[in-house]
Amino acid sequence: MRIRQLLIIASAVLLLSSMIWAQAGAKPVAEQSLSVAASSASADNLLNGGPAAWNQIAVKRVALNRTPPLYDTDEPATLEIPSVDVRTARASGRLLVQLSWRDPTHDAITLAEVPNTPPETRFRKVQTEADDRFFDAAAVMFPAKPGSDAIAPSLQMGDAEHPVEIYYWNATRGAMVMQAQGRGTTRRTGQSFPANSTYQNGQWNVIFELPDLPSGTTVAFAVWNGSQKDRDGRKYFSVWQVLE
Amino acid sequence: MSKHQYAMVMDLNKCLGCQTCTIACKKLWTDRDGTGYMYWNNVETRPGLGYPRQWDRIGGGWKDGALQPSPLPTMDDYGHAWEYNYEQRLYEGKKQPVMPSPEPKSGVNWDEDVGGMHEDENYFFYLPRICNHCTHPACLEACPRKAIYKREEDGIVVIDQDRCQGYRYCIKACPYKKIYFNEVTGKSEKCIFCYPRLEKGQVNACAAQCPGRLRFVGLLDDPESPVHKLVLVHKIALPLFPERGTQPNVFYVPPFNPPKRENYVKSIQEDPRIPLDYLIYLFGPEVQDVIVRLESELKKTQEGGRSEALQLLIGRDAETRFHVRPQFVQIQL
Repeated sequence: MRIRQLLIIASAVLLLSSMIWAQAGAKPVAEQSLSVAASSASADNLLNGGPAAWNQIAVKRVALNRTPPLYDTDEPATLEIPSVDVRTARASGRLLVQLSWRDPTHDAITLAEVPNTPPETRFRKVQTEADDRFFDAAAVMFPAKPGSDAIAPSLQMGDAEHPVEIYYWNATRGAMVMQAQGRGTTRRTGQSFPANSTYQNGQWNVIFELPDLPSGTTVAFAVWNGSQKDRDGRKYFSVWQVLE
Repeated sequence: MSKHQYAMVMDLNKCLGCQTCTIACKKLWTDRDGTGYMYWNNVETRPGLGYPRQWDRIGGGWKDGALQPSPLPTMDDYGHAWEYNYEQRLYEGKKQPVMPSPEPKSGVNWDEDVGGMHEDENYFFYLPRICNHCTHPACLEACPRKAIYKREEDGIVVIDQDRCQGYRYCIKACPYKKIYFNEVTGKSEKCIFCYPRLEKGQVNACAAQCPGRLRFVGLLDDPESPVHKLVLVHKIALPLFPERGTQPNVFYVPPFNPPKRENYVKSIQEDPRIPLDYLIYLFGPEVQDVIVRLESELKKTQEGGRSEALQLLIGRDAETRFHVRPQFVQIQL
């Protein structure tokens, strides 16, 4: 019951704010632009060269929203990560995206390495250490066919006409490429992509190496906070940003 | 709705708590990386903490058509899988005794035989548990990945390991806490009712190995099967916590509930050793009717008659206890 009330209030607020924007003649929120630096550094340097390689690149603070409770049984969650700092650069024919956000809890572990022998041949097995922890994660989503359509895909993991690619990084399980065409359809492709991450002084810095997306492509960002039991659609998300 | 439904009946009067079923299951299915702590089949003492601890009191299932909230049990609730320090003791010459590590603090039947007290008399019984392969599974409904499905041909509920993303909504939703998270694979897993065995005409490993011969397996919709007879004809087997709304397909013949010591002439209902409230807590109010039925069957045999129901419960041979019908449930391609 409470969830339904919250949803009604949230949609009322959204409707009201969109009316105000329409009256003011402002650009709709869904069309925010993101400047892309043409970096003289190599993609490898941007990915692995540490903060120095990114110092000259302009930063944009992108507001994050918390998804409303998706299920009746969800615990309520507060907005602990209100924004993510985004830097983008083109280098060596790739698009590099750096996401930085403040997160006082470092929810990541190093999983024990599983020996490359069948478990039945070993006396000792690798054990599950905990069953109730979730890890910090982030993702960049963009249309699977960038530039082919003027209409941005649905922010809810694309839609049937506008499939999306999701470059997902997990603090424990690493980087993986996913595809989706609508909520609940996300699947792993089995592919990975180059990514680099550091956690220092309560701040995550994660660099994604994406294909060279053309100017005008829409991209959206998501952050999962492990300590808030984030996984699935329980997360922080940005609205679509347009690459300049 | 599945075309057929495999079901299991367990006669709690015959369970001796030996965990042979548990080990049969463990050796067959959960002897892999990440599965040390999980027992798709376990036997616990009732009344008691259960495995995971307090699973019956923390939530999940349905109420008025809505899924109910529940926390995730922790590893302390399940009990960590422990290893023994044989190397130190046997090879490194350390003098300390062989000890498990980490120190065991919970497990599949941690409070074995503790039971409860009822009017100054101790009572307990064993409750073997597997996934209930429910007709209305809360886990299936809770999964946003649609990774859980109920097999159309035989009603067995399974988790597609390719679709599962390890979100664990299913574990929260299951009122029986019979789904386990494997942190090594990052996916959840559960009892598969030994469907690969059933497909080859072999009964479930837990049922095949049970020395107490308390497990009956067959299709609920097969009039020849023992489960059909016990549940639908004799009406002496009930699901666990029916009010959680998932419609389990594992049924229990409740403990006969003998009268207290030195009251043998009294009826079960007059002077129960196990408080009736506890049986109602586990099996719902219908357990009272089942006790009446069981007692009348017992009386029939004591007076020299023959009880079909009790003859079936004795379950002398595998043919009586198991009706595995792979030819019956084949998918029509």
